[in-house]
Amino acid sequence: MYTNFLFFLNELPPFKRILEKMAATLLKSVRATNCLQTVARRIVPRASCVSLIHCRQENRNLHICSRSKSLLTPQISSLETNRSYAGKAEFTISDVEQRVMLVLQLYDKVDPEKVTMSSHFINDLGLDSLDHVEVIMAMEDEFGFEIPDMDAERLMTPKDIAQYVCDKEDFFTP
Amino acid sequence: MSSNPLRSQVIQLYKNLFYLGKEYPAGSKYFHTKLKAAFMKNKDITDPVEIENLIARGEFVKKELEALYMLKKYRTLKRRYYDEKKW
Repeated sequence: MYTNFLFFLNELPPFKRILEKMAATLLKSVRATNCLQTVARRIVPRASCVSLIHCRQENRNLHICSRSKSLLTPQISSLETNRSYAGKAEFTISDVEQRVMLVLQLYDKVDPEKVTMSSHFINDLGLDSLDHVEVIMAMEDEFGFEIPDMDAERLMTPKDIAQYVCDKEDFFTP
Repeated sequence: MSSNPLRSQVIQLYKNLFYLGKEYPAGSKYFHTKLKAAFMKNKDITDPVEIENLIARGEFVKKELEALYMLKKYRTLKRRYYDEKKW
């Protein structure tokens, strides 16, 4: 019987091989489908979701478009921006003189009626050297750059200051 | 007078103190009048050593002012986080 069994086993191999092959192909195909499935599971819903969102946004944009466009255009024509591309705004010498005079008129220790372009701070306007320092500081704030002490000592009239600012900032047009 | 190196130091000190005083809690006007008076009180001093001492004192006042602002900031922040009655 034993031999018989062995014989059976001997008989088996081709059959077994077929079975094995079938199993292997089955496994392969299962793996492949699994792989495909995972990929599909990941991509398909995403794609659909994205497309859905896109469609929605597009629709919404289309819906609002005409209104937002009208909002973006400048309402007042005088408000058109003058672009200076990271440079400072250009001033003329008379602009600078006006700004200097405005700062002086706002300074509480200076009499606004007495101040003229050529009035001396200490002799004509009666300021002392500390007030003069304050005036120079106000000018620094107004024009946005620092005036060194050496130069500040020489700036004794509004005209001097305007001239100095124009030299520093390269304003030549009168 | 203008060639005196101490003069520029004094002016620099005045500038710094004036700038710091712009946000003084009791008002910038109050601080600036006091600052001016303090500088004017010593305007006749000519001894360089004494002027140096006064400049050092001015620097000390500067530090005090900075500390005052820091304390004020700290208290303002604390007031926003905690109930004031408990403290």
